[in-house]
Amino acid sequence: MFKKNVRLAFFALFLMTIFNQWVIADDLIKLGSGQDEKLDQLARVKVVEAFIEWHTGPAEGYPVFHVSEQGEWLHILIRKTSWMKVRDAKGLEGWVTVGDILLMEDETGELVSLVEPEFDNYSTRRWELGLMNGEFDGSAVNSAYVGYWMTENLSVELWGSQVLGNASEILIANIDILHQPFPSWRFSPFFTLGAGQLFVNPKATLAAAKNRSEDTLHAGIGARYYISNRYFIRMEVKDYKVFTHRATNQEAIEWKIGLSVFF
Amino acid sequence: MENWTQRIFLKTALMGTFVASLIASTSPAFAQDKPLIEPDVKPQVVNEALIDTENFEVGTFFGVMNIEDFGSSLLYGARINYHFSEGLFFEANYGQSKGGKTSFETLGNVDLISDRTYSYYNVNIGYNLLPGQAFVGGKYAFNTNFYLVGGAGSTKFGKDSHFTANFGAGYQILLNDWLAINLSAREHLYRTNITGKDKLVFNSEMSTGISVLF
Repeated sequence: MFKKNVRLAFFALFLMTIFNQWVIADDLIKLGSGQDEKLDQLARVKVVEAFIEWHTGPAEGYPVFHVSEQGEWLHILIRKTSWMKVRDAKGLEGWVTVGDILLMEDETGELVSLVEPEFDNYSTRRWELGLMNGEFDGSAVNSAYVGYWMTENLSVELWGSQVLGNASEILIANIDILHQPFPSWRFSPFFTLGAGQLFVNPKATLAAAKNRSEDTLHAGIGARYYISNRYFIRMEVKDYKVFTHRATNQEAIEWKIGLSVFF
Repeated sequence: MENWTQRIFLKTALMGTFVASLIASTSPAFAQDKPLIEPDVKPQVVNEALIDTENFEVGTFFGVMNIEDFGSSLLYGARINYHFSEGLFFEANYGQSKGGKTSFETLGNVDLISDRTYSYYNVNIGYNLLPGQAFVGGKYAFNTNFYLVGGAGSTKFGKDSHFTANFGAGYQILLNDWLAINLSAREHLYRTNITGKDKLVFNSEMSTGISVLF
């Protein structure tokens, strides 16, 4: 009974939020021109090209519904991926590509310059994040990592992985150092070395086996292929040395493939 | 002597004209440097810091999870998205539900499993396949996206975790720049022996939710 009430309350809250947003959104459209104080703090750019196209949404697929001519001033409202929402002097709003914005002048009369990530210039993209899947010693593995580039060749990475085997579930936390000898290559090989901890949880259906944790060291090789300046495919193979509490140490091979992005 | 006094007068006269000319020459230049009305705003240089980026999306959802052999139950969860190009995005989901009883359990009045909590997480890659617009009456137009997602994660049911692949499709309506409604359908696949025989199960999820973009 109590649960049912909670569910009902949640649903009511959900409906109210939607209704509220509709009203607020509606008000904003009416108020539009009354927000001049806020507009003063926004970036202002002038069209230099003969004309630029406005789309109704932040993607190439949305239709072009308006154009701005040379000499027109636009306010930049927000940015989403490689698109910017702009507002002209009449209060009209629409989406323009960042490529078009870079061909405009700001108030100083200079061309707008924004630092965009480039794969061969590490200073434009210090942080990266990736998701990878593959196999660890024959079992499926899901991984995520965050990397920080200290120089154009060297980065530090923090990894979290979950191995889902038939007999057990293994969680792995790793810290890695990665070296890429050719940072300007679009297909860039790398070497990696790391250390970490393994947490093994045997399956509930098995006879009572205890949870255990083990130290591990690993070395690996891999490659990155840059699809665009912002994201790339990454694949790698790592050889794990697991220091068990038993008489012999174990070895495991892990391979993974995934997609990563720069921040 | 006469020469001497002449020299003094000449010197002062020369000095006078020099000072006068100096004042005359500098003062207009001074006036040119300072405009009559000084603007209190400096020309603004446009850079990244000035522009608000909105590539993240956080939301909650609820719906129905159909757990093979264990009936259909209410599902609720949370989602975070990162849009890294106009088409592609990362998506991480966490969802929770509760397994019902198999027909064997109902008829035999027994329990196959003690813990019926069903929870999953997954990380997916999505693609906005069909961007578009939806119209409500003659006054409102909303941007929409039909998207495909697929990825992997883990499902925990009956105290065991299973590697789970999932794929699906969704429809998103953006009410404004920062609020969206989502409808989505997904299929979760994993291998389990919970009913005694090792098999691949297909669990379907239908959900709706709201998300905030920031």
